[in-house]
Amino acid sequence: MTATTGTARRWGEAGVVARPLLPASLFYVVFFAVPMLALFVLSFWRANGFVLIPDLTFDNYEKIATSSLYRVLIIRTITVGFITAAIVVPLAFAVSYVMRFVFETRGQVILQLILLSLFSGYLVRIYAWRTILGKQGLLNSTLQWLGLIDRPLEFLIYSNFAIVITLTGLLLPLAVLPIYSAMSNISRDYLEAARDLGAPAHTLIRTILVPMALPGLRTAFAFAFLLAAGDFVTPTLVGGTQSLLIGNVIADQFRGIGSNWPLGAALAFVTIAIVLALYFLVMRLIRWVTTW
Amino acid sequence: MVNALSSNLLARGFLALVLLYLYAPIMVIVLFSFTTSPRLSMPIEGLTLAWYKNAFANPLITKALTNSLILAAIAAIGAGLMGAAFAFGVMKLAQPRLRQALLAASLLPAVVPLLVIGISLAVLFHGLGLPQGLRNTAIGHVLVSLPFVVLTMNARLETFDFTTLEAARDLGASSFQTFRDITFPQIRPSIVGAALLAAALSLDEFVVTWFNIGNEQSVPVLVWGLMRRGVDPSINALASMLLFLLVCLVIGSNFIGRRNT
Repeated sequence: MTATTGTARRWGEAGVVARPLLPASLFYVVFFAVPMLALFVLSFWRANGFVLIPDLTFDNYEKIATSSLYRVLIIRTITVGFITAAIVVPLAFAVSYVMRFVFETRGQVILQLILLSLFSGYLVRIYAWRTILGKQGLLNSTLQWLGLIDRPLEFLIYSNFAIVITLTGLLLPLAVLPIYSAMSNISRDYLEAARDLGAPAHTLIRTILVPMALPGLRTAFAFAFLLAAGDFVTPTLVGGTQSLLIGNVIADQFRGIGSNWPLGAALAFVTIAIVLALYFLVMRLIRWVTTW
Repeated sequence: MVNALSSNLLARGFLALVLLYLYAPIMVIVLFSFTTSPRLSMPIEGLTLAWYKNAFANPLITKALTNSLILAAIAAIGAGLMGAAFAFGVMKLAQPRLRQALLAASLLPAVVPLLVIGISLAVLFHGLGLPQGLRNTAIGHVLVSLPFVVLTMNARLETFDFTTLEAARDLGASSFQTFRDITFPQIRPSIVGAALLAAALSLDEFVVTWFNIGNEQSVPVLVWGLMRRGVDPSINALASMLLFLLVCLVIGSNFIGRRNT
């Protein structure tokens, strides 16, 4: 008897504690989990013009597996995402290190400035890179005006180079956030002790900084790799015809002429699966290197 | 000594370069919203406000601005309240593992590319028979703002003194009274700060909007349309105004959110 009332009360208390969690949880289930599931189910359907036909067909996946166009686009997307992440994460690591250990108090102000840029104009900043890197853009016209070059540098715009430069600028603040917060848990004493014992800088990085900031580095890599691979606005505005990414094709399947939602859904899931598999592979590799 | 000085200079130079890299695009847009030459190139010939006039002459701008403000208000209130409640609920959980797991789960939408969130919502609404428009977009904005609200609220609540709540309960206050008289007044600035951040995210949101807004307008959708049509200097004026609003919101969010803590 007392046991049951005890349990009932515990459940009652759990109910009270859970109450503030309910609205957001429900919202996440209905508008995040269910849509993902719906997208997955849709990838096995067929489309006839704008009419979606329920089915259980692997045609969409087969089309993706056998098409060399999609293969090229997926490989290019992963390469661009990987290069971007490989630049963003070490850069964010260096920025976080300087803010945390060189300018301790002023580091906070700089962190605020970096975060502010995260919220200031996604479309605007991509467009700005087009005007900076363009053939008659700011960089080329300045260099010509100064007489440093006589013909515009063409590789600056409509290229994978432009995409990586733009994405790095967009994703850097997002990568600084987790790395800096992981580093704020590292005591300065560890570094000083190691330095006093004569450890060179690269040993400090490999044996103290990287292992202790690893959770932050992991999150930063996930942010950079996943979001770079999923962006379609950047390749649209600064990429050329030879640098379309899979996101462009997926976006076109949902909002374009001759769109095909089920095929777009299948493309999205194939890309997500490959990106996630690579992400876990890289994480294994990093763990192996740091424990070694 | 000399070594420390030079490494300090090096660190300073490095950070200055990084900040330049992050802010150069924004500065370029603002600068060229005031120049007479329609081309974004050097040298600068003269200054003008004509592009701002031009931007306001666009017949779509009133509609776009109204819609964007409606969306931002819904995102601020929806994500602000739900996210704050969620962060508070997570803080009160006894098991640290469950706390960590829930927090990580709530941040998931920030790691999924917006493209995937946008199309999956479009699929859901299509399945439910809800035509595209502001309603669907508003739901998308609340969803993409929620992780950031939870994250900032979580950081602010770390300094929250939970023993005052126990004291209130011990003195006989009901859980509603405790919330109304103790909890809410203390966390209100943080909630307002987080809500302003949600408003900024919504105002700037393009990708999820693009797949769910149908034929309606918002400021980023309007800017996108102009960008795709080529170089139009009124884009710079429009973008500068958007940037100004965003910066005000984010700084306001920081300022208000930090009060009392």
